[in-house]
Amino acid sequence: MMLGPILGAANKERVLLYVLVRKEGYAREISRFFKTDLAPVQKQLERLENGGVLYSRSAGRTRLYGLNPRYPFLRELRALLDKAFAFYPAEERERLSMMRMRPRRKGKPL
Amino acid sequence: MSLAELAAFVCTQLRKHGIVAVLSGGGCVSVHTANRYQSLDLDFVENVPTGRKRIKQALSEIGFVEKDRYFLHADTEFIIEFPAGPLAVGGEPVREIEEIEFPTGRLALLSPTDCVKDRLAAFYHWNDRQCLEQALLVTEAKKIDLNEVRRWSAAENKSAEFQAIRGELVKAARKKSPSG
Repeated sequence: MMLGPILGAANKERVLLYVLVRKEGYAREISRFFKTDLAPVQKQLERLENGGVLYSRSAGRTRLYGLNPRYPFLRELRALLDKAFAFYPAEERERLSMMRMRPRRKGKPL
Repeated sequence: MSLAELAAFVCTQLRKHGIVAVLSGGGCVSVHTANRYQSLDLDFVENVPTGRKRIKQALSEIGFVEKDRYFLHADTEFIIEFPAGPLAVGGEPVREIEEIEFPTGRLALLSPTDCVKDRLAAFYHWNDRQCLEQALLVTEAKKIDLNEVRRWSAAENKSAEFQAIRGELVKAARKKSPSG
């Protein structure tokens, strides 16, 4: 964790980096990506939303979270997270950045 | 009790407990437009958080009960919420707070120009047309510093969006009643 002394909880940094890079994410997806328990990720998402740092919206049965564009310190937070992200190992950065955006037909075997 | 009267009552009660909270959001639009836009939400923002416990204590004395981060009262449909601070319009702090005296107390709220910015922030970022309509209603009802709104929009990197709605804002400003 790069921002541990500032943010405290490791999962807070994970959640913030995830939504910074991937724009949006949901609790289970984030916890799976970082191979961590679901409950603390959910807790951090909720806390950050209550603090106005994240927004959430429902998509079907999933609650998606993203950085709140109306958060007054968003620009500065982004700059901090961008810098922290640059310090992560290359393979970790690539893994987080690589995301399939194109559609995938339901039931496709590969 | 109207929204404005209730907001003033609540604001005064909070102040008695040392809590300085400013009415923002749709409730602020309601007050500035003399209820041409009707809201049931009273969003109070604290610049310096005093803690949920103190707010809960202050509001319980006037009969409000906390439920899922909202405060409800058996005798009114209005809902009180405390969105996270600091008090800001977009990325900028709010510098001037307006205060209006009502028979029920003194209400602290965003100035008309900041209220327009607040609504435009929602329009710019969420593409929420209802918020633009609210900004236009406030512009019709009150004197708005459109140059300041333009400067602020540029600071938010929303100059193009401001240009796209500038005509509507100017038209709304011209509709203003002589008392506005």
